[in-house]
Amino acid sequence: MTAEQRIGPTPLGKLVLVLFVLALVGGAAYYFRDVVMPSGKGAAKPVDIDAFKAQQGKFEAPDAKGITTVSEYTYVPAEKLPPVKGVSAYKWDPVAKVVQFPINVWIGWLPIVAANHGFSPSTESIFFKEYGFKVNLKLIDDPVVARDAFAAGESHILWGTLDMMVLFAPELMRDSRTAPRIFQQIDWSSGGDGVVVRGNIHSVKDLKGKTIVYAQNSPSQYFINNLLLNAGIQPSQVNHKYTATAFEAAAAFVSDKRIDACVSWAPDIYNIPEKVAGTRILTTTAEANKLIADVWAARADFAKDHPQVIKGLVAGIFKGMEQLKDPSFRAKAFQWMAEGYGMQADEVKAMEADAHSTNFAENKEFFLNANNPANFERTWKNITFVYRELGLIATPVRFDEVMDFSVLQQLDREGVFAHQRDEYRTTFAPISYAKVQAEAPILTQTIRINFYPNSANIFEPQHDELGNPIPNTLYDPSVAATLEKVARLAGQYERAVIAVVGHTDSSMKGRGVREQDVKALSLDRANAVKKALVSKYKFDPNKFIVEGKGWDVPADPDDPLNHALNRRVEIAVYPPEAR
Amino acid sequence: MNETTSSAANEGAVQPGVPGAGQGVKQPPRRTWLEIRESLPAWQWWVLGALPILGLLALWSLATAGGTPEERWISPTILPSPWEVLVSFPELWFDRALTRNLLVSFGRVATGFAVAVCIAFPVGVLMGSFTKIKAAFTPLSVFGAYLPIPALVPLTLSLFGTGEGQKVVFLALAFIIYLLPLTVAAVDSVDDVYLKTAYTLGARRWQAVRKVLLPVAWADIFQALRLGFGVGWSYILLVEMVDIGRGLGGIIIVSQRRGPREHIYLVLLLIVAVAFLTDKAWAALGRRLFPYREGK
Repeated sequence: MTAEQRIGPTPLGKLVLVLFVLALVGGAAYYFRDVVMPSGKGAAKPVDIDAFKAQQGKFEAPDAKGITTVSEYTYVPAEKLPPVKGVSAYKWDPVAKVVQFPINVWIGWLPIVAANHGFSPSTESIFFKEYGFKVNLKLIDDPVVARDAFAAGESHILWGTLDMMVLFAPELMRDSRTAPRIFQQIDWSSGGDGVVVRGNIHSVKDLKGKTIVYAQNSPSQYFINNLLLNAGIQPSQVNHKYTATAFEAAAAFVSDKRIDACVSWAPDIYNIPEKVAGTRILTTTAEANKLIADVWAARADFAKDHPQVIKGLVAGIFKGMEQLKDPSFRAKAFQWMAEGYGMQADEVKAMEADAHSTNFAENKEFFLNANNPANFERTWKNITFVYRELGLIATPVRFDEVMDFSVLQQLDREGVFAHQRDEYRTTFAPISYAKVQAEAPILTQTIRINFYPNSANIFEPQHDELGNPIPNTLYDPSVAATLEKVARLAGQYERAVIAVVGHTDSSMKGRGVREQDVKALSLDRANAVKKALVSKYKFDPNKFIVEGKGWDVPADPDDPLNHALNRRVEIAVYPPEAR
Repeated sequence: MNETTSSAANEGAVQPGVPGAGQGVKQPPRRTWLEIRESLPAWQWWVLGALPILGLLALWSLATAGGTPEERWISPTILPSPWEVLVSFPELWFDRALTRNLLVSFGRVATGFAVAVCIAFPVGVLMGSFTKIKAAFTPLSVFGAYLPIPALVPLTLSLFGTGEGQKVVFLALAFIIYLLPLTVAAVDSVDDVYLKTAYTLGARRWQAVRKVLLPVAWADIFQALRLGFGVGWSYILLVEMVDIGRGLGGIIIVSQRRGPREHIYLVLLLIVAVAFLTDKAWAALGRRLFPYREGK
């Protein structure tokens, strides 16, 4: 080696230099770690459960009287719906007049299959005979494919549950022509969706800290997170595992013992408890029978160009529902549906109980009755709240930007379906609290209404220093929002029995106050909540069972003297078997 | 330059003659702009390569041009414009933790690849070396090559659960199916001359494998690994559909459902970019390891 070759740093020098540069790069990367490798947002942000309450009461000023009747929306849908701009961009043959209507595998589509006499466009169908157009029902089970076909103008209709529409709407509304317009509810899921758990879970509360698997962006996600929020559990307190389909969620639950619960569809939710030891159904839409609404939406440009076709679709589906009351026609419809799905007729028939078709009267209740605790507006807002809190949607779409009840109003004026009655109203027989309690509640929700001392009036006004009531004030200004929260839960769990249990604090314990008086006060308060719910939202009074516990059951056994915590009302949802 | 002038000169020489007179004369063929196996300067490679990409980009811009969504040829609910895709990048980077998800996906692909190499490499070399082993495993390998493996997702799900294990196993399966035949072919293509020479020199069976077949086949095996590494990205969407969480596949799946559409296309572009860069890294490594292959 010559001297010239040794010019430059020694190997050690090189190593030090390299280490120095690496340290600089590493230090810079660490310093700018939020820029280089941001952790993203919406990961595990705690949900403000009180915001749930506030949001739910937003659409109404506090109602000091607490008594209202059925009230219909008075606005004209066209004024709130986003106007359609530009040239319509869907495929349409004005001679053949075939509406492309994709559907998924779901018994709720039976009325349209019946009305259409099968899946293919038919001259025998109600749609052709009475309204002069044809319908092509296509099986597109994958919601993403269905959505893309809708956006591309290949299909005029998009199938989906209302919660799917909440997620799809913001993107679809970027183009006013593909904005979804919802004219009709097809059905309520009624046992078709459910939560299956392992044996150690008895109530929604037990899910805290457990692992749940379900299909993301599907009704399952709405179902479970709505349950958790209603039970006062932060979604971040549960370990969520996501799959692409409900079928995979069920398969994952069966194969992986570390997963404590799954949300899936029939028939899996009924098959798992039969086949896998130590599993049971926690709750299904058989109880939460007004939670998941199946609807269809039309492209805004198509609806604008072809109002008669839309009207024909809505009316034809209602007629299909009516015709299905004939057993022989119903058997035929099962056969058509089986052919369309490539299944056996009895397999289709086995799905019969998964959904309840909503007739004209029930659609009117859903779309038009502003006081219905489970109407379109409340369902849409509730979904929006849940999904926004989970960080799934940024700018939500308003309910009146997608809901169009103009066709229902037209049909109402024409009186075509005036004879149809609401067939989906559960009647309750009186039952005692002791009997209801025999079964574990599905979920328990604690609400807090600030009662004026010794008063059971939930609409008690504020009082001045001398104790005189101040008119047009409320002692608890958020009482309407609190009632709304309970009403929505009770509305979603239309078939379940709801226990309203009043509790008082123990501040006067041992100060000459008789226990039975305190119990009576807590019972009166529970009764006041019940009365307010029944009068405002028209619930069956027997749906609510009241109980006054006095100061016997502190909210937190470890902190029995927390009086503010103890002055409360607990709402417990019991499965209908307890009736 | 020389060639051009000489051909021009030749043309000049031929022209005065009677048509057809030059046919018998041997002369270099006329140079056209499209030559068989001509050598190109680097800049031409770049320019010619960029043209179709720019053309595609122009087509994309054209199809999505227009003031309002309604004026566009393709609606933004299907395909957003290149600009919209570009400006949504910060949101993808910051709000949706692009780098972390990228690392997760890359980690899955790399782990699956490592597992696959651990299996495909020894089996492939054995199959390439020993005819009986080849006879035993070839049908299986052919079977695998034609298997639509997406249909196996539910099976791997019930065997390996929903966690990382299933993702790695599934990717490894895809890699093995691709790598095995290539490894076998690499060993197969080693010229008999080398083997015969080795035997003449007294090599034993394993020595022939270790000192002859393997060293000669190395460069081809490496080439197979390089090509194979890209395969994992084709399946990333499929494996990340199960237990959707971190990962680029998860971003695409979620964006298909609730948007923004821009992120779908951004992630697709990103996957291509990452695959391109890793391929360049493989190529650089290859040049270091097998300098004698340079130019092949």
